[in-house]
Amino acid sequence: MIQNHLDILLIAIVTAAACALPGVFLVLRRMTLMSDAISHAILPGIVLAFFLTESLSSPLLILAAAGTGVLTVVFVELLERTKLVKEDAAIGLTFPALFSIGVILISRFAGNVHLDMDAVLLGELAYAPLNRLKAFGYDLGPVSLYVMGTILLLNLAFILLFYKELKLVTFDASLAAALGFTPTLIHYGLMTLVSVTTVGAFDAVGSILVVALIAGPPATAYLMTDKLSRMLVLSALIGSVNAIGGYWLASLFDVSIAGAIATMTLLIFVLVFLIVPNRGLIAIARRHARQKWEFAQTMLVIHLFNHEGLPEAETESAIADLHEHLSWDPGFTSQVVKYALNNRCVSRKETQLILTSHGRTIAQQALVQ
Amino acid sequence: MQRSEQKAIQVTDLTVAYQDKPVLWDIDLDVPPGVLLSIVGPNGAGKTTLIKAILGLVRPAAGNVLIYDKPYEAQRRIVGYVPQRGSVDWDFPTNVLDVVMMGRYGALGWIRRPQKKERELAMQALEKVGMEAYTTRQISQLSGGQQQRVFLARALVQDATVYLMDEPFQGVDATTERAIVTLLQELRADGKTVVVVHHDLQTVTDYFDWVMLLNIRRIASGPVDEIFTSDNLRETYGGRVAFMKTDKGGV
Amino acid sequence: MGNLSTLIHFDYTLMIVAVGAALLGTVSGALGCYAVLRRQSLLGDAISHAALPGIAIAFLLTGSKVPLILVLGAAIAGWLGTLLIMSIVRLTRIKYDSALAIVLSTFFGFGLVLHTLIQRTGNANQAGLDTFLFGQAATLLERDVLTIGILGGIALIVMLIFWKELKLLVFDADFAASIGLPIRTLDILLTSLLVIAIVLGLQAVGAVLMSAMLVAPAVAARQWTNRLRLMVLLAACFGALAGVSGTIISSTASRIPTGPTIVLCATVVVGLSIAFAPNRGLVWDRIRQQRNRRDLKAAMEIQE
Repeated sequence: MIQNHLDILLIAIVTAAACALPGVFLVLRRMTLMSDAISHAILPGIVLAFFLTESLSSPLLILAAAGTGVLTVVFVELLERTKLVKEDAAIGLTFPALFSIGVILISRFAGNVHLDMDAVLLGELAYAPLNRLKAFGYDLGPVSLYVMGTILLLNLAFILLFYKELKLVTFDASLAAALGFTPTLIHYGLMTLVSVTTVGAFDAVGSILVVALIAGPPATAYLMTDKLSRMLVLSALIGSVNAIGGYWLASLFDVSIAGAIATMTLLIFVLVFLIVPNRGLIAIARRHARQKWEFAQTMLVIHLFNHEGLPEAETESAIADLHEHLSWDPGFTSQVVKYALNNRCVSRKETQLILTSHGRTIAQQALVQ
Repeated sequence: MQRSEQKAIQVTDLTVAYQDKPVLWDIDLDVPPGVLLSIVGPNGAGKTTLIKAILGLVRPAAGNVLIYDKPYEAQRRIVGYVPQRGSVDWDFPTNVLDVVMMGRYGALGWIRRPQKKERELAMQALEKVGMEAYTTRQISQLSGGQQQRVFLARALVQDATVYLMDEPFQGVDATTERAIVTLLQELRADGKTVVVVHHDLQTVTDYFDWVMLLNIRRIASGPVDEIFTSDNLRETYGGRVAFMKTDKGGV
Repeated sequence: MGNLSTLIHFDYTLMIVAVGAALLGTVSGALGCYAVLRRQSLLGDAISHAALPGIAIAFLLTGSKVPLILVLGAAIAGWLGTLLIMSIVRLTRIKYDSALAIVLSTFFGFGLVLHTLIQRTGNANQAGLDTFLFGQAATLLERDVLTIGILGGIALIVMLIFWKELKLLVFDADFAASIGLPIRTLDILLTSLLVIAIVLGLQAVGAVLMSAMLVAPAVAARQWTNRLRLMVLLAACFGALAGVSGTIISSTASRIPTGPTIVLCATVVVGLSIAFAPNRGLVWDRIRQQRNRRDLKAAMEIQE
């Protein structure tokens, strides 16, 4: 029983890591929705290959389905190239059509095959360890662990081998082309990987939740770092954490494992979105609060600086009228004046507010930037 | 405040920031009625932002804008706007006449549809910009210059007193450029005030009578003769400007 | 003739279903035009998937399976999903596509979790989820068709009332704001109309295929005309056509699900439009190119 739990957990972690790696490049290249398209559009490929092999984890099936995935990409790009359809609409047309063909095939011939729609769309991780790899009478572990492990290694190898090229194509495709790295080749290489990964993963988590594994961890990591290499490592880690957390949630409440992993992905994403230093919502709000006074003070000194020594200076710097010039709330204005007085940026001269030398420096510095 | 004469546009102490990053610092600008003013400055100087702030499209952190002594909300009917040509999708399913009639939507108000009168006004405006032969043409089948003329016609049917135009000379052919200049001068002759975001320093003295030099803050503004000097330009462009015919007699 | 009618067994149930599918096609076809023109074709996909937790929560809270309550839950969840997508794009450096993919898949995953919870308490059957995923056009009742007609009709009437404002919002939002239109409110209104079209459509084609019902008729219609008015009208017709023909085709043989058939019908319309529409179509384009080449050749021969 414990072995079974461990197997499921291992499969979940390996699948999550395998999906997160190519996902990083999809997120950075703004092609995340292509994974949504691929994961749905491979259905007819899977069905046709399944008729031939009668097994959901045969390598032939994975190849056939991955081929359909790449075909989907080609098809979307062809549609786009007619200039009659924009990219988003091309995706939105292609995958439902292919998916529909798959659904119709399944329901027409469902009687003779063991392939039902729920398995395709939702997957069921709990059943994944049941299909085991056996050799010479020994149980070597679940087949899907081997399949996903191979795919993970494949992804890792591709990224390590073509790291420089991938980086260049992602950040500056035209430079990459000029330097002789055919971006098209790298592009299709990546799309093939995404297709293979999707096919492998969807056995476990289904075609909709595969998108959560591909898009979620990289997007979360993107909030945390600027470095591509770090983003790759972080994505794989976050993916694994989501898998473990999701599995724990699922066992706790006895609910769908794949669904719980997706829920975990959302929770972790929102958490990072809120608390990550510098870019998180809380950090932004705190910086906002801190800078509010700072910024208002700068506006005030620049205002005084701009009118200093000019004929209108007297009216522009009258403390009682400041809020009218700046269109500020009077209460806010007097608080800003107090703040600036405390910081010795300005000083009071009868009814006027005049700049100190410190204030003048602040104004000049702000304007030079 | 000395108010010797009425101002068409009066910007006072305007600061605009996008997420705490200032784009405009404490701008003051007085535009007297009936002038042809160009706003000039390097990329990222905040020219478009200034136009948008005058139109109330971005909310300022400080300062305010008055059009003929009243806030923009009260004066919408007398202001016409020409956005940057690149800001819209020209593959949108609509034709030339239809785009021009959009200029009447503000006057029409909610629910009411354009009628024969709007159609006639739109036709007149199209004649003024020399586009009357293209009324049913789909807008993606127009050249860049023709698209710009359509946008100008849309502003003309607004029948405004003050016009704000964002880079109307951007990417247009020489014929269109001349046509636009003629149109701008006709507007001025009619007593309208026209503010144009402009990036071609060489033509400022020929096309405009007022100029504002802007680089996040106002460097200077006023009549072209007084303001368009190499010193002011150097301050605006940080000394990186290749001088052509700036102040009279300059190289 | 008699042969055909037996083939189609045009009975009352089928008529109800066909009318329902036609209504849904009309509403989603018309409103889908705005999504396509704003390059938000896949927003429909996100909203339809994000609706699942809403349906589950509505059921958990009320214990009722009345369509209107479930539709309301779906609409609220779809709305929240859209809001989250917009906030992510506005507040972080994550782009629209990733934000959409995250919301789509994780909301759906959460819905799945809730669904397994409901299942465990023994309140519902698996059919509920299948209906959500693939729709159940074949089981539409008179009551459902009435709901679709009324809600969809309201959505279309609102679209017509604010026709010129919505058009300007989609074409040139800055200009719209400059003449005083409340573009934020109009944006919310347009998204709400889209949400209504989607949650209604869920019943017929389901979450997975809903985006096709928004996108396909609009893309097809765009090829035939350069006017928004005609585009919306044509898209509504194409949507209705796909709905009716899909329903009828799937009723002619056993085990052909209705939703996917409707989607394939819509796709065929797109294919025909892209190929044969005058002016824009590919065939037309090819003919024009050949004619140009011939003219050029003739001109060169004359010169020689």
